[in-house]
Amino acid sequence: MAYSDKVVDHYNNPRNVGSLPKADPNVGTGLVGAPECGDVMKLQMKINPETQVIEEAKFKTFGCGSAIASSSLATEWVKGKTVEEALSIKNTDIVRELSLPPVKIHCSVLAEDAIKAAIGDWKKKHGIEVQVAEKASH
Amino acid sequence: MSTAPTSTNTPLVCWNCHERTVGTHFCSACGKLQQIPQSLDYFALFEMPKKLWIEMDGLEQKFLQLSWKLHPDNFVNATEMERELSLQRSSELNDAYRTLRDPVGRVEYLLGIEGERKEGEKKQQAPPELLEEVFELNESLDELREAKESGGDLTALRVSLEAARGNFQEKLVEVDGQLQSAARDWDAALTADSAARKKIMARLNELLNRRSYIRNLVTNVQKELL
Ligand code: FES
Repeated sequence: MAYSDKVVDHYNNPRNVGSLPKADPNVGTGLVGAPECGDVMKLQMKINPETQVIEEAKFKTFGCGSAIASSSLATEWVKGKTVEEALSIKNTDIVRELSLPPVKIHCSVLAEDAIKAAIGDWKKKHGIEVQVAEKASH
Repeated sequence: MSTAPTSTNTPLVCWNCHERTVGTHFCSACGKLQQIPQSLDYFALFEMPKKLWIEMDGLEQKFLQLSWKLHPDNFVNATEMERELSLQRSSELNDAYRTLRDPVGRVEYLLGIEGERKEGEKKQQAPPELLEEVFELNESLDELREAKESGGDLTALRVSLEAARGNFQEKLVEVDGQLQSAARDWDAALTADSAARKKIMARLNELLNRRSYIRNLVTNVQKELL
């Protein structure tokens, strides 16, 4: 299967690989796994509690090229956004940006779920009510 | 394999004498070997209830009996149709035996014919409470690969990976135990209503996915440790 140029680019030069201190109260960690293939993705963000702006984002993904590209792109997108804005990112946006074929849609779902999980974790640390997580549309 | 849930009681017509045949393997009227009825699942082939606990000696005996009856050697002088049928049915019998003999394969098969699991589907259900450990395991595997490439010291990494492997192997044993107990539930609910049975099947399915996920992990670790 041929990967799109954008996927290849993110795969070869993944942005924001690494991790943030999990115990930091301003860091939210999302750890998710894809039931389809068993790949796992960790996405972390450092969020300013006053402005709710995501100041930093890091990821580490053990998975296919599309999952790596999706999470790399997700970290790029969330940086500088507010929590609410980041929550509006849909996996379909990722699919479009990376031109993912249907079999790779679940890889983008993984990234959307990871964003939600990381923000959920951060909210929990700050005692903010987390709405029942809306499942990403496949 | 056909998934059409035809009733096992569908009257079949013998290809040879055109009588309705009631025998599972041979026509009750003319005695000719019959085609594989669409509705015949592996359990029915061995004339067993759809139970997950199977007595191995009984299964083996039945298998030997049937394979002797269906064996192509018995049909060398028969018509082409019968020779063909005997080949087909012998190979089906072998598949059936191999499947039912394996406690896990048996569950997979049952869920398949009950429409609970698509053929060839192997969902790698990452158990949510294991994600953390899975992630760490993947990280250690990465480190080991890097250390191998750069010729670094592998001893400490190996030790921790060995420990992780042991840990996941224990989980595998645990899942197998859970699978066994769910299988017992299934057998006990043989005449229960379909909602109750569906629930047990969903549980079995979940356990199968979990099992294949953990097994994959263990295999991956094993490969790296070689
Ligand atoms: S194939 Fe599993 S995340 Fe892409």
